[in-house]
Amino acid sequence: MTGHGRFVEDVVWPDTWHVAFLRSPVARGRIVGLDVEAARALDGVRVVLTAAELNPLVRSWWQTAVGPDAPQPPRRLLAAEDVRWVGEPIAMVLATSRYVAEDALELIELDVEEQPPVIADHLDRWKVEGEVGLVHPELGTNVAAQVPSPDRGMPMGNAALDDVLGTAPHVFDETFHQHRYLCVPMEARGILARWDPYRGRMEIVAATQGAHEVRASTARLLGIDETQVHASAEDVGGGFGQKMYMSTEDHCVVAAAYREECAVRWIEDRNENLVAGGHARTEDMRLQVATDETGRILGIKAHHVEDVGAFPTPGVGSNAKLAAAYLPGPYDIGQYFFSGVATYSNTNGKCAYRGPWMMETVAREQMMDIVAVELGIDPLEFRRHNMITSDRLPFTTSSGMVYETVTPRETLDQVAELIDYEGFRAEQAAARADGRLLGIGLAAYIEGSPGFGVLGAEQVSLRIDYDGKVLASTGSGSHGQSVETTVAQVVADSLGVDYEDVRVVQNDTAASPFGSGTGGSRTAAVFGGAARLAGEKLRRKVLRVAAVALEADPEDLELDLGVVRVKGAPAVALPMAQVAAMAYAGHAAFPPDLEPGLEAAHRIKAPTFMFSNAAHAAVVEVDPGTGQVRVLRYAVSEDCGNMINPMVVEGQIAGGVVQGIGGVFYEHFVYDSTGNPLTTTFMDYLLPTAADVPEIVYGHVVTPSTTPGGFKPVGEGGAIVSPPALINAVRDALRPFGARLTAQPLTPAVLLDIIEGNTR
Amino acid sequence: MKPAPFAYEAPTTVSEAVDCLASHGEEAKVLAGGQSLVPVLALRLARYEALVDLNRVGELDYVRREGSTMVIGAMTRQATIERDPTLRAAIPVLREATRLIGHPQIRNRGTLGGSVAHGDPAAEYPAVALATDATITVIGPAGPRIIEAADLYDGPMSTTLAEDEILTAVAFPVWCPGSGFAVREMARREGDFATVGVIAGVTLADDRISRAALALFGVGATPMRFRQLEGELLGADFLAVDPTDFGETLAQRLDPPNDVHASTAYRTRVAARLVAEALDAALDTARQETTS
Ligand SMILES: Cc1cc2nc3c(=O)[nH]c(=O)nc-3n(C[C@H](O)[C@H](O)[C@H](O)COP(=O)(O)OP(=O)(O)OC[C@H]3O[C@@H](n4cnc5c(N)ncnc54)[C@H](O)[C@@H]3O)c2cc1C
Repeated sequence: MTGHGRFVEDVVWPDTWHVAFLRSPVARGRIVGLDVEAARALDGVRVVLTAAELNPLVRSWWQTAVGPDAPQPPRRLLAAEDVRWVGEPIAMVLATSRYVAEDALELIELDVEEQPPVIADHLDRWKVEGEVGLVHPELGTNVAAQVPSPDRGMPMGNAALDDVLGTAPHVFDETFHQHRYLCVPMEARGILARWDPYRGRMEIVAATQGAHEVRASTARLLGIDETQVHASAEDVGGGFGQKMYMSTEDHCVVAAAYREECAVRWIEDRNENLVAGGHARTEDMRLQVATDETGRILGIKAHHVEDVGAFPTPGVGSNAKLAAAYLPGPYDIGQYFFSGVATYSNTNGKCAYRGPWMMETVAREQMMDIVAVELGIDPLEFRRHNMITSDRLPFTTSSGMVYETVTPRETLDQVAELIDYEGFRAEQAAARADGRLLGIGLAAYIEGSPGFGVLGAEQVSLRIDYDGKVLASTGSGSHGQSVETTVAQVVADSLGVDYEDVRVVQNDTAASPFGSGTGGSRTAAVFGGAARLAGEKLRRKVLRVAAVALEADPEDLELDLGVVRVKGAPAVALPMAQVAAMAYAGHAAFPPDLEPGLEAAHRIKAPTFMFSNAAHAAVVEVDPGTGQVRVLRYAVSEDCGNMINPMVVEGQIAGGVVQGIGGVFYEHFVYDSTGNPLTTTFMDYLLPTAADVPEIVYGHVVTPSTTPGGFKPVGEGGAIVSPPALINAVRDALRPFGARLTAQPLTPAVLLDIIEGNTR
Repeated sequence: MKPAPFAYEAPTTVSEAVDCLASHGEEAKVLAGGQSLVPVLALRLARYEALVDLNRVGELDYVRREGSTMVIGAMTRQATIERDPTLRAAIPVLREATRLIGHPQIRNRGTLGGSVAHGDPAAEYPAVALATDATITVIGPAGPRIIEAADLYDGPMSTTLAEDEILTAVAFPVWCPGSGFAVREMARREGDFATVGVIAGVTLADDRISRAALALFGVGATPMRFRQLEGELLGADFLAVDPTDFGETLAQRLDPPNDVHASTAYRTRVAARLVAEALDAALDTARQETTS
């Protein structure tokens, strides 16, 4: 940490106009009056744009990963005629500064006739369909998505599973609720855009996880060519999924720049980011689990209900398909059926958030504990009993996922040791005798990473120019994952140069190859794999060029730390700068089949799914007087294959665990029954601080994958599996009080109610 | 989140500051550490034509003993109070409470005067002032006057200071030997404003309670004292006091707010516990003071 990062807000174009949005103060209603004349007349205001000016510019609006034909909510830049959630942009001021722009907002007269909103409230929820009205009247339904999809010929049930549920010795049925909590990147959203009509060129600097997606979305929106758009990013202060796709406000900024033929800048503030940045989680999952007498799972039936808000991204915002694929996790679960429904509501739309599908693990891992305890089996033993062991690989799960190199049993055993699972029960009993409530929780999962479609073909291209130093360009979009470090490490190793001599360029559509950015935990496996193969290609090229100079056979040469040597004759050495000079200027001596220059690229084809695995364990203490929780110990064991950089791996896990601690105990975005948000600043939306986070202990099991380099996904897992580990630990601590604990967040008030027997 | 335009004045003496404030009438506001005022301005929850910045008024930054009180200038930073050795010996509760205010970064900027004048019902200093029977000195165009802590607050974040008055100092009485104080607070996270906070103070003379104070914060529109209940403690043998009972009794008189952080019921239950703990700890300290 040096404090020298440069973020989108640090980019200063002297000619930019600063944006502030007028946002809807009500969740649902008709706009009966919108008068922007006084705002337009304010000194320093260039223009005030409303739907009438901006919306007609829209040509098309979709995200690359979902494609042009997938359903989308009825998107619009600015609200026209009606408003559909508190925070929806209605008008856009362009002024000489953000200060002036906000002054102008106060001069806009807005009159909205309120209508009852469709709100899925926190505990009395999902009364969505048909009852109060439609979020999007155009659609005629509040259902955004359904799996299985009735019109796609998918089986609508599993008779064999119903049989099992009807006849198994034990059947358990539980519904879990996960509240609304958010990405909250350290840097909020932000974008600068300038349209130059004379060159026909749109220049964009954005806080994004993928510059190519910004370019593509902009081109689609305005009906211009992708080649007319140059999008890039500076350092990006976290995204966690929120910056994977262009938001409505981002689209408004490029549209305004296009229409006004000027430079426009929008730097989101924290208040906006909380209210309008894209929301997450907010879902229920019902699980029915059948086991035999010994506690072997015979079947699982799952039903998932998601609240996707009004305008989710990408597509209709449902994560049910991935949840369905990943739910079996590290277990052999026998018969299986998954259904889900996603519903619109008059709230901020759902966006991707680190492990967007993670409800499958949150629900399953809680269910594992509940079932184990009801069967009188220790939760660790119950997991071992049902877990897929290495001797069964390759293993095809009940959802059709094929595991080849996962090691769930090894990581579970390792984490049990790291947390001292065996010793804990004595510790717990001693604490209870002192009136202290301690609990332990475990959770395990398989982290799936998508390699299908556009997510599965990523490129790294390498160039050694005249001075012999290496430029690696990738389609990744590091926003805090240290990709600059890890890709450089892989290139240095596979090419045979010093790490210091490799510089990574990414998130710039003019300088980096087409790619889908950083997201979905793919970067190490996909870009790392491509980097490795590109490095090997370039190494062969370097050796061929050097072979000409040294009049040797390339087979007899080796490249290490940027110097080519003849094997067995270390005195004969050719530094990279000389090889490069020869490649670009000394090519007269080249044989006809040797192309001048030192460049190589590789575009990798990833497997449809890549998998890693981990197990987490937490020990917590609940204060019986206040219901407050302290996490006393936390341990993680994971297998992400070969680790490019253990510090980066552990950093990824730590960040995810902190988000789990936040989600379970502190963070909760609350709407009241009128759809009015109540937690709009960090005074009320509570993030965990350093004081709330324990030291995390890490264990690593290293089982290389079959992809180049042997790397596996690791970016999202910490946030996926920490919530159930923590909830299980609290449930264990409160077992004397018969706590069921199936709804988050676990606030002090909720826990004190349980301790005092006041549960609703 | 950008404030509306305002004029900015930076006087260097108290009398200049009083003049500045008077010249802008009701439309001016004093700026101290800015830790509460600046967010309010940035969110446009309030707007003022002018800010009168006290940060250059050196004469408001001091800690000194005057007879049986410790007098602290309004612009004394919370961090200074936290570290001052004289204060620590004379009014230990002040340091204990200071450490519960926000984080070091906030205490480096935040001031005693700002905190007391702002009057957040969940803030520590107003409750310390109330519990110790402090007096507050303010000055306006008509000259200085003194306000008892008990008379300072008339609503949430609302004081009996006139708009043209500046808070200049708070005088905290040093309680006599044999006294003990304790602060207990429940906050969602370390450094947060209290969900429920309690300050208890007692003086023991021959093992009997001769002075008692209980101030709660975070449970009402202003910090609250419970004089009648305190009165019931007077004259009692400290061994005869049942803090748990006392906490339950006191909690029955509360009607705390309901918000996203905690319900009325939750605050009431936790208040009962914290009162008991604070009273118990204050009695303990007082007894150690008398025996040492
Ligand atoms: C993240 C965070 C956490 C915090 N946590 C806590 C906490 O746990 N407990 C707590 O008590 N506080 C907390 N605070 C608030 C902090 O203590 C503030 O500093 C304090 O409330 C106000 O002091 P200030 O010097 O910053 O005053 P300012 O913000 O400058 O002013 C506050 C108000 O007081 C008025 N004022 C200031 N000085 C005078 C004066 N001399 N005469 C008349 N009026 C005056 C101003 O006009 C303004 O209305 C927190 C603040 C932050 C940002």
